[in-house]
Amino acid sequence: MTLTQLLLLLATLAFAGGAVHAFVAFKAGRWHQSRWQWVLILVGFALQTGFLYWRGKEVGQCPMKSLPDILVFISWSMVLLYFLVGSAYRLSLLGVFTGPMVAGLLALSAVLPGAFDPYPAKAKIVALVELHVAVALVAYAAFAMAAVTGVMYLLQERMLKSHRIGQMFFQLPPIRELARAILRLVLLGLGLLSVALGLTFALEPSVAVTGSKVVFAWGVWGLYAVIAVLMWRHVMSPRRMAWLAVAGFILPFVSLWIVS
Amino acid sequence: MSLSETENEKRLLCLGLNYRTTPVEVRERIAFPEAHLPEALRKVRALPGFEESVVLSTCNRVELYAVQGAAEAKGGFDLLRDYLVEHFQLEAEHAEALSFYHLESEETVRHLFRVVSGMDSMVLGETEIFGQVKQAYKTALESEATGKMLNKLFQQAFQVGKKVRNETSIQRGSTSVGSVAVDLCEKVFDLKRCRVMLVGAGEMSRTCAQSLMSRGAKSVIVSNRSYDRAVELATEMGGRALKFDEWETVLHETDVIISSTSAPHFVIKPEMVEQVMRKRRWEPLFIIDIAVPRDVDPKVNEIEGVYLYDIDALQAIAEDGRRERLRQLAACEEIVEDQLAKFGRARRLSGVSEGEEGALETI
Repeated sequence: MTLTQLLLLLATLAFAGGAVHAFVAFKAGRWHQSRWQWVLILVGFALQTGFLYWRGKEVGQCPMKSLPDILVFISWSMVLLYFLVGSAYRLSLLGVFTGPMVAGLLALSAVLPGAFDPYPAKAKIVALVELHVAVALVAYAAFAMAAVTGVMYLLQERMLKSHRIGQMFFQLPPIRELARAILRLVLLGLGLLSVALGLTFALEPSVAVTGSKVVFAWGVWGLYAVIAVLMWRHVMSPRRMAWLAVAGFILPFVSLWIVS
Repeated sequence: MSLSETENEKRLLCLGLNYRTTPVEVRERIAFPEAHLPEALRKVRALPGFEESVVLSTCNRVELYAVQGAAEAKGGFDLLRDYLVEHFQLEAEHAEALSFYHLESEETVRHLFRVVSGMDSMVLGETEIFGQVKQAYKTALESEATGKMLNKLFQQAFQVGKKVRNETSIQRGSTSVGSVAVDLCEKVFDLKRCRVMLVGAGEMSRTCAQSLMSRGAKSVIVSNRSYDRAVELATEMGGRALKFDEWETVLHETDVIISSTSAPHFVIKPEMVEQVMRKRRWEPLFIIDIAVPRDVDPKVNEIEGVYLYDIDALQAIAEDGRRERLRQLAACEEIVEDQLAKFGRARRLSGVSEGEEGALETI
């Protein structure tokens, strides 16, 4: 087992372990916020960062070229956003909801055919292209976090509507706060994706990012622009908006497969 | 254990009565006003052989925690009881009606751990008692009524209280209709921005509104068939009154509606709420229907962004909360027993005086 494989395995275990622990605690009615959950996510994040660093060394460039690498980078960005967004909005359970998704993405990246094979060396590394890809992937991570927050909203809303007040109900934030967090995450993702796409105009024609990747990226931008306007203008109910944030992530997620 | 060792023991005592042992009409006769506590502490310490004391006096309990010196090891409970009877000048019939519990050593420690954790409270798991015990201890500390033994005991008790609160869900969930309403509102809105409207001014709706206001709700409007009653209630809660035929006009500006009219038919109907929700641009609306027969058509709950709870729904959640707290009790007892054992061990390891050691052997 190589160092990168080991780091990836440990990171997956850290996130999966945190998720399983939370699930078991919820089932037993003993879940409570503790610093250990936060520490476990921090450890997972450090391992992910280690993976990206060593993987970058292996392939001699930013590891964002193959689908498995892209999935790891997106999951790393999600955890980064969790640290920023989770504390800003006091979304106490965001870590619990993010953990399984991150563990799932990491596990998926490891089992994909040709996972973490070496890349052909790049003739020339253009910083702007690397920046464009990195910012676009962080934007996708923001959309993923909007989807995670959307799931939290839908659960909380369901419990409120059906009068089924379980242990999770008291841990989840108010739905109005969740609705705001979804909007802000969508706006954050949209802003980042705009920057990433804007960078393509600054590239020389010889290295300009073209083809299906950019077409899909513009497609994703268009979709989230519409979602953002609908949310901003309160055209639909927050519940439908949450569904849109969850379902909307299907396009960027699937597009990763198509363009890779 | 030899006789001489027994004679050297200090006794950790707790003489108390609470809502289980003594009716309120007796309890209220021996409640200590806060201002009188320093004097009470001094008097307990002045009793023969008494070295330390803490007096806990709340609406649900009066408890004297004390350490009695080794030389006066007999009759501690009688002295404390007589002090209470004399202090409150109880007549014989009331003195006889006092039903105290007498706890010593380990029992006292366990009892205090349970009290601080809300496990001995009338509303299981309530957290107010933690602050009350803290205040009682602070008063005793400031009055120089505590010593090494009670200081360690109370400090440890606060640790146990925090542990129980953090590691179990005993304080979670709501056990009364008012607190359920508040908890539910908090899961929809930020209460500080929450505008409340009472349609009908019944006692239960008043309780709910007061719970919301006490937790920081922004404003309250009261509308009632009797305008005078609306004004009275609005004044009491620092809100404004509205004539009964005007309440519909401000519905869209309201986040929480508490309805309790005596109307025989539905007062709030789906068509009305649909219009309101359009005006509110999908801002959530929380409706509490306390009236029997109900004021709000249940179909209103099907409208997106509207959360309707009638009295049965609120009471069912309160009952669930009570059951959940009871379920948590076993886990809490486990923590208390574990901490009790640790407390005994830690005390034995720390440098305690010869006199104290005897008492701690029994802990």
